Amino acid sequence: MQLDPSFIWTAFWQILRAIPTTLSITAVSVLLGFAIGTVTALVRLYRVPVLSQMASAYVTFIRGTPMLTHLLLIYFGLPMLIDGLAESLGWSFRSVSIPMIGFAYISFSITAGAYMSEVVRAGMQAVDRGQVEAAHSVGMTSFQALRRISFPQALAAALPNLANSVIGMLHGSTLAFAVSVVDINAQAQIVASTNWKFFEAYLAAALIFWGLTVLIERAAALIEKRVGAYNRGGVA
Amino acid sequence: MIELKKISKSFGRHRVLQDISLSVKTGEVVVILGPSGSGKTTLLRCVNYLEKPASGEIAVGDFKMDCAQAKRGDILRLRRKTAMVFQQYNLFRHKTALENVMEALLVVKKMPAAEARSRSVALLEKVGLGGKLDEYPSRLSGGQQQRVGIARALALEPEVILFDEPTSALDPELVGEVLEVIRDIAREGITMIVVTHEMGFARDVANRVVFMDGGVVVEEGTPDDVFQHPKEERTKQFLRRITPEANWVI
Amino acid sequence: MGAPFEIGYVFSFLPKLLETLGVTLLIVAGSLLTGIVAGFLVALPRMYKIPVLRTLSGLYLSFFRGTPILIQLFLFYYGLPELLKPLGFDLSRAPVLFFVILAYGLHTGAYAAEMIRASVEAVDRGQVEAAYASGMTSYQAFSRIVLPQALAIAVPVFSNLVIALLKDTSLAFTLGVMEMTGKAQTLGTLTQHFFETYIALALIYLVISFTLEKVLLAAEYRLKRHEVREEKVGRSFKLRRKGSYRAVLADIDAGKGGRL
Repeated sequence: MQLDPSFIWTAFWQILRAIPTTLSITAVSVLLGFAIGTVTALVRLYRVPVLSQMASAYVTFIRGTPMLTHLLLIYFGLPMLIDGLAESLGWSFRSVSIPMIGFAYISFSITAGAYMSEVVRAGMQAVDRGQVEAAHSVGMTSFQALRRISFPQALAAALPNLANSVIGMLHGSTLAFAVSVVDINAQAQIVASTNWKFFEAYLAAALIFWGLTVLIERAAALIEKRVGAYNRGGVA
Repeated sequence: MIELKKISKSFGRHRVLQDISLSVKTGEVVVILGPSGSGKTTLLRCVNYLEKPASGEIAVGDFKMDCAQAKRGDILRLRRKTAMVFQQYNLFRHKTALENVMEALLVVKKMPAAEARSRSVALLEKVGLGGKLDEYPSRLSGGQQQRVGIARALALEPEVILFDEPTSALDPELVGEVLEVIRDIAREGITMIVVTHEMGFARDVANRVVFMDGGVVVEEGTPDDVFQHPKEERTKQFLRRITPEANWVI
Repeated sequence: MGAPFEIGYVFSFLPKLLETLGVTLLIVAGSLLTGIVAGFLVALPRMYKIPVLRTLSGLYLSFFRGTPILIQLFLFYYGLPELLKPLGFDLSRAPVLFFVILAYGLHTGAYAAEMIRASVEAVDRGQVEAAYASGMTSYQAFSRIVLPQALAIAVPVFSNLVIALLKDTSLAFTLGVMEMTGKAQTLGTLTQHFFETYIALALIYLVISFTLEKVLLAAEYRLKRHEVREEKVGRSFKLRRKGSYRAVLADIDAGKGGRL
């Protein structure tokens, strides 16, 4: 095997085709994950009985196990559940009609939800209690105080960690190969093995991921600058 | 005896200290006053080289050095002849009160542990903290922390102790206990340079008062001279502004 | 898709998977060691602002944090022998574990470097000044004053780092290493009881993560015995305490905690 620099370029273009898949997995898992995470965090912060214990167990389990096992558990477990239910309830729906990428969406959203709940929780805890008291003092309800005062500030505080989560999910989407989804990583593997040029192909894939990551970081820094404007200046 | 000659220092284009000379006799207590930004803290921090003067000469006891050509060994020798009490106390957070006082004795002075310990205990008792030997700084009040800081400085038996606004970070009700301790050691004839805003204390304890403004020494003399009969307009202005609240922490 | 669920398989798979726990832990330990060494080497030029080296460190960090570990694994496995061949090193017979540990190690190194830098910088500047003012050399000030405090600050981040590494090792099977996840896959194929295998696998990871977290929490508690214990939070919003290590940490988490 001889290093073939020009093939890096060829591979780069062939792998680029898989970008939409990678990005859609990332986007879905981040958006659904954020929704799941916010609910989970609020349930825990407000100590809703039963639900908050369930939420804690969910977060502990997900954070204590590899993302790959979540995907495999969903991939092998969910069809059993769906088909079992469908049979006993007489539905015509069967798990075979779930597209492969659907398993990735579901499982990665569940993974992201647990991590995001920690991010949201830390953000909420960073908001000074005086802010809520001030909101109450001008007559807001608890819900208004949460929606208009705490949550926006929490979000601003959580931005850097949120950006990390997005990058984490982008990188995590490479696991989709395990359920035969052709993302950037899987496409690299295909390009590599059909041309017998592994190093070049993975180098190209690495460059694509590196570029995407830097883009996300830049974007996050920009947003942070705008959102965090109120938080700047003055003496610390 | 401490001798500062033509000390200059700039931060960027701003000249903080302009050819300042100051000499302090053994056993003397010199209080440096001045509005904020006058360079008084910077001058104090130049004495033990926490700030690097651009030029000038520093002499402490029998040791003399040219600031422009200071070597690492020189700086170390200078620092071993001085001690400092900080505005923010700066006690070592991971060490108890006793360990804070012992630390430099063991590491810098290479004193046997038993001796370091007995000296430290004695000093902590002297500043009224005999009962707090094994407490960590995070569990001490500001006043108690600062008294540990003073004991830590005393333990080194330096030629001079530098006090950098030792009561500025304290709650008003804790200022008294710290000033009391400083007053006591001033009476024992320990050489001190004190930067402070406490006018009453300055009048009470100082042998000499130095008034600084804009990076230069505007006026110096006995407390009586400077407080009762200031010669310079800038000094008068400063005192007028400060006197109505002379007994308050600023 | 596989045989119907039978809970009994979960229990019978547990001991079989545990046979390969050693390989997983070997990868974790080896990579951690490599990572800490690499982390120091990368952090130092950034802390002391050494030109050129500092830029290289930045590039290292950006690359290893900017690409997925899975891609890094393949890159090392396929690329390193090719890169080193012209230099006279023949890696074609090197064991796969070598590449795996090297890739995980350098990956971890990027996070370790940030952990080291952030922890050292989180130590109050006044601590060093006080050390200097009492006549300590810079080595004494670092080793006796800064390091012990930085260590205490670093533990929670370190804890995240180790657990993230443990979870990442589940990808080593892609290069054919028979660690726990690889073994689980084999067992699944053999018995067609995939779901049960992966439950057993997840349980083992969970127990190890949980134990690691508790052990490191105890270590943190010990290293921070000089700090006032924070009151147990009994309300929904915690006041942010200025200067508390916990508040500092919220800002320096090296980011690995949120990944995979």
